[in-house]
Amino acid sequence: MAPAPTNTDWSVEFDTKRRDHLFRNPPKDHTAFPSLAESIKPHVDSFNAIFEDSKILQAALKDIGTKTFLDGDIETAEQRKLRIAEGRRPPRRNRLNVRVREVFLDKPTLPPTNKYSTKNREIYPSECRERHATYRGKLRARLEYQVNNGDWMESIRELGQVPIMVRTNRCHLEKASPEELVNHKEESEELGGYFIVNGNEKLIRMLIVGKRNYPMSIIRGSFVKRGQTYTKFGVQIRSVRPDQTSQTNVLHYLSDGNVTFRFSWRKNEFLVPVMMILKALVETNDREIFESIVGGATSNGMKNTFVTDRVELLLRTYQAYGKHSKSDCRSHLGKSFRPVLGVPADMSDYDCGTEFLRKVVLPHLGNYNVTETQDYDKFKMIIFMIRKLYALVAGDCAPDNPDAVSNQEILLGGFLYGMILKERIEEWLRSFGPIARDWSIRNNGATFTDPTFERDFLSKIVKRSNENIGNALEYFLSTGNLVSPTGLDLQQTSGYTVMAEKINFYRFISHFRMIHRGSFFAQLKTTTVRKLLPESWGVLVSCPYSGWFSVWSVSHIPKVLVQLGVQSTSSVALNDSVVVQLDGRIIGFCSPQQALKIHDTLRYWKVAGKNNIPRDLEIGYIPNTNGGQYPGIYMFSQSARMYRPVKHLALDKTDFVGPFEQPFMEIACVESDLVPGVSTHIEFTPTNMLSIVANMTPFSNYNQSPRNMYQCQMSKQTMGTPGTSIAFRTDNKLYRLQTGQTPIVRPPLYNAYGLDNFPNGMNAIVAIISYTGYDMDDAMIINKSAHERGFGHGTIYKTKIHSLAEKERRKSRREITKLFGFAPGDEVRGDVRNLIDEDGLPHIGIRVKEGDKIAAFHNVRYDAASDTYVNVDGITHYLKYKDAEVGYIESIRIMGSENGNEPIQNISVKYRIPRKPIIGDKFSSRHGQKGVCSQLWPAVDMPFSESGMQPDLIINPHAFPSRMTIAQMIESMAGKSGALHGHPQDSTPFQFSEENTATDYFGHQLRKAGYNYYGNEPLYSGITGREFAADIYMGVVYYQRLRHMVNDKFQVRTTGPVNALTGQPVKGRAKGGGIRVGEMERDSLIAHGAAYLLQDRLMNCSDSQLAWICRECGSFLSTQVAVAGSGSGSRARAAINPGAVAAAAKAAPNQQAPGGAASVGGALGGQAGIVRCRRCARQATFNDSRAEAWEDGTGLRYVGGDNVTVVAVPGVLRYLDVELAAMGIRMKFKIDN
Amino acid sequence: MSREAYQVPSMGTQNAFGNDAGYTNAMATDTPSVVYLCGECSARVPLKRGDQIRCKDCGHRVLYKERTKRMVQFEAR
Repeated sequence: MAPAPTNTDWSVEFDTKRRDHLFRNPPKDHTAFPSLAESIKPHVDSFNAIFEDSKILQAALKDIGTKTFLDGDIETAEQRKLRIAEGRRPPRRNRLNVRVREVFLDKPTLPPTNKYSTKNREIYPSECRERHATYRGKLRARLEYQVNNGDWMESIRELGQVPIMVRTNRCHLEKASPEELVNHKEESEELGGYFIVNGNEKLIRMLIVGKRNYPMSIIRGSFVKRGQTYTKFGVQIRSVRPDQTSQTNVLHYLSDGNVTFRFSWRKNEFLVPVMMILKALVETNDREIFESIVGGATSNGMKNTFVTDRVELLLRTYQAYGKHSKSDCRSHLGKSFRPVLGVPADMSDYDCGTEFLRKVVLPHLGNYNVTETQDYDKFKMIIFMIRKLYALVAGDCAPDNPDAVSNQEILLGGFLYGMILKERIEEWLRSFGPIARDWSIRNNGATFTDPTFERDFLSKIVKRSNENIGNALEYFLSTGNLVSPTGLDLQQTSGYTVMAEKINFYRFISHFRMIHRGSFFAQLKTTTVRKLLPESWGVLVSCPYSGWFSVWSVSHIPKVLVQLGVQSTSSVALNDSVVVQLDGRIIGFCSPQQALKIHDTLRYWKVAGKNNIPRDLEIGYIPNTNGGQYPGIYMFSQSARMYRPVKHLALDKTDFVGPFEQPFMEIACVESDLVPGVSTHIEFTPTNMLSIVANMTPFSNYNQSPRNMYQCQMSKQTMGTPGTSIAFRTDNKLYRLQTGQTPIVRPPLYNAYGLDNFPNGMNAIVAIISYTGYDMDDAMIINKSAHERGFGHGTIYKTKIHSLAEKERRKSRREITKLFGFAPGDEVRGDVRNLIDEDGLPHIGIRVKEGDKIAAFHNVRYDAASDTYVNVDGITHYLKYKDAEVGYIESIRIMGSENGNEPIQNISVKYRIPRKPIIGDKFSSRHGQKGVCSQLWPAVDMPFSESGMQPDLIINPHAFPSRMTIAQMIESMAGKSGALHGHPQDSTPFQFSEENTATDYFGHQLRKAGYNYYGNEPLYSGITGREFAADIYMGVVYYQRLRHMVNDKFQVRTTGPVNALTGQPVKGRAKGGGIRVGEMERDSLIAHGAAYLLQDRLMNCSDSQLAWICRECGSFLSTQVAVAGSGSGSRARAAINPGAVAAAAKAAPNQQAPGGAASVGGALGGQAGIVRCRRCARQATFNDSRAEAWEDGTGLRYVGGDNVTVVAVPGVLRYLDVELAAMGIRMKFKIDN
Repeated sequence: MSREAYQVPSMGTQNAFGNDAGYTNAMATDTPSVVYLCGECSARVPLKRGDQIRCKDCGHRVLYKERTKRMVQFEAR
């Protein structure tokens, strides 16, 4: 009998035995927590789609098509004129066609150069993490080429190694069971969805983009800047090709009523009269265009003179171009856009125009082998967009809000990856052209038909192109910068990837759930985009089932719609006909009354599962309103949409609702919201609007909403448990809580997501009391005994790579010049041996402090004769531990190369830094109530209850009135009763009401356990032993330890490193600098009259120095040291400046050097301490006494200038003096006393 | 911490196993081989100075250093 499949149903229970069993025996079939895997699915699925079923890349290759290059020279205009005059035919040029037929991506394996591994050549993600390498697979392409109309020849090209997303169809672990995952050193619940680049886990952020294939009416002031007569009105559509790349088309309204078509191609903007596009798409005439916009001659549309006037003008102004037929217009477009499209030179203008329409104009309606029907679809769509534009200008419809979720979708990581891949392949093909021409020139004008070409094409031409596409993708993933010649229709060039930090599990999972608004959003000055719109309800925050993929076929829907009465004729009058669209294709039109019926019928069929209507089809029915959103039925079936499940009331079944249709539906939140006859849907549970992290806040409906937001922020900064495979992780910094517990108060979702695998805090007995002087606001007191029992004890793991290879020399074949180990024959100190082992690496488990030597190496030279490395100098060099904090060596990894043939060049050392909670460390409850530990209070002095209980934690009651985190109070009661009865408490929000209060529910439980109904109890002072006058609220609250710890933050100094130029303290904690006492701090100290403190901060701890100054001329610069006099008796004691030493002592009494007064003068004035002012001295004459004369360094003798003294001044003052002197400005100081 | 911390003015080394602080001659002639653990198959892999990094059994490319056999003890302070 096969073992029963792993149970995936979870409740709020502790399930200790079941979890223990799961942990000891990881399931062999599937994960026990499917909802966790579900939550990151969009990442994995979008990557899978590139190569699998939906074959995004295959569609991309079709879009790229065949690139054609011609040999020979391009005719100049004169040559052409001459040739035509002579009546010669154009010279025949040979065509070289290249295309990529297929692209393969292999799973990560060892390179063939590695001949040592025979059994298992697969590379697993854990190895890449440990070796700080990239998890990547070989990318190959089937390149096909032909000359003229010859046979296609093919070659498989290797395009480098591209990074691979973990747990996708190109990863070895795609379908691995938890047991296999554990065997491959992963978490049992490893989710994947990220890339491993240089040992870091990187993921591509989900990005908000405009909704695809929906023409949005937009009013934007910046449109006016496009040119003269341009107005702020426009209709924009983001047209998405089958390969998920997009092309945005915009129609602009001009003040005279005209309409221009704008698009952007390879980062340049182009404007075309919309008429030309219309006429180029299909063979048509002015009457047909008029009637398709306005409606038939008898229709109500004819009465709309606003539109008829403008359409008339549209048609009339276009006459000036003189291009009427389809072929005329296509040729004109082709001629105009030939230079930017990159088409072969011999393509006709007409074909070039066709190519333009295929690539640029609404590619979602026909992107490959475009048929006439598809061109007609494009025609109809542009007509519709013109209508919507005129309606917007006339005020018949409101602009669509591009900041509302209803007009947005999500660009998924895998799709972006595919887009870059496509673009790189296209650029690669395009690059053959210039290389082939260069080849031709080098070979004296060789042509493609030459036999040498066939020989040289692969070896010389393709070989010279940049085939390393893998490198480009690795660059993208490691930096997040998009280097693209087309811009990919995206708004930003950087910030696409982030590192998936595993600080704790909440942080990690949040990376996959977050949605990026675009970097421009952060710079926006207006706050309108931040507005919380009703249509965003429940969509962005959670979306438990976000719709990323549709595997359903929708090709039958148009037929169904026609049966429902959708017809092709229409008019501009919205009362007569509204549009019915499917994925941006116009199916037809119907009356507004019909539209409602069609919508209701389709939705019924969709939910009931009839007529093959896809379950995830978004049926956006926009009713006719007075100047509201442009009406119609807009259906969306494609991927990258958001949707969420709600209950369809009539059918009592799940209906997936998207943000576009949602504003026009009647979805009740709870049963009391139901309006009979109006409501059609109801939420499954009101907590569906909360994210994974937000759901973990207990009773969050009782909190003031900002507090819930703070908690969501803080849970991601908690020192928790990043996982169970810590031993195999090499993150730069990893935080770990040693004593994590499961919360007593938690929602059932806590178990469904398996969060007990990643405990994030501890249950603490919390008393809310003002007890000592140390519990001032937002401080908390920890019971010292609780601390000693391990409350909040944490560890930081730091991984550092110590490398011998020099970084500078790239490319050149790396030679080994250094090896780990002591140099042979070198004498090694015993204390070094205590740290470093025989192999030059540190012992595992030893304690290291700042400056300790942790690895030994020596220089070597390769000796080919003996195939060994020889050391000549016999000198051992050392690597040092540079961190200020004491750590222990946890593990050392020796990282070999992929080829397995290099000696040790890199080691990865993991240091363990224990961090017990100390005063200044930050803690928080789950309600946005953070606080700093202010004292570890001895247990004997803690208050105690009647049963002898002491709190682990004391917080101040002032934390509550203004913050209103009532849920923490409820959690305290719930936790207390849960602990007393030994059962978990369900903390799902919205379960209690005014009639059935939480206080009563938990109060009863407390009373049953013999405690006070309201959760407070008499407490006795730990110091006096007397009962407090008031009962104290004491209960069990789950506390998190945050990763912000004083040891990473403290910044104090008296002395330390100074700036070389100014002598002032440097800035920056890492450099041992100080915190600036700035102007405002200075002002405050002045106001307090704290003169001595000011003196200390600004002078003595900064750049105070003793300087010689001349009393007479008041100058620093003219003083100089006199050289010891040449004469015998001249160097008398009397020559020392009278009183100068005393002045120095007076100037800086606190800097008195222990050596006495003489050394102060000596330090400044040289050995003898003779300093004179050169400016006030005169040159000695014959009759000057030798005793009075002094000598400068050049041998000149002077007399006088001895009225100098020592003053304490800031160093920068003298620097300023020097700078001013350089500009010819003299500073003069007046010296009193 | 260590920068600002009070340094106990003690003689000799701070490290716990400070046996003799004299000089010893390291590997005068032959380089000793040190045993590492394979990251894949946990085999014991002895390596000498300059040897190529890979497991002798399975060819894996990550090796762990073994925990030291010496006594590791610290002063409890």
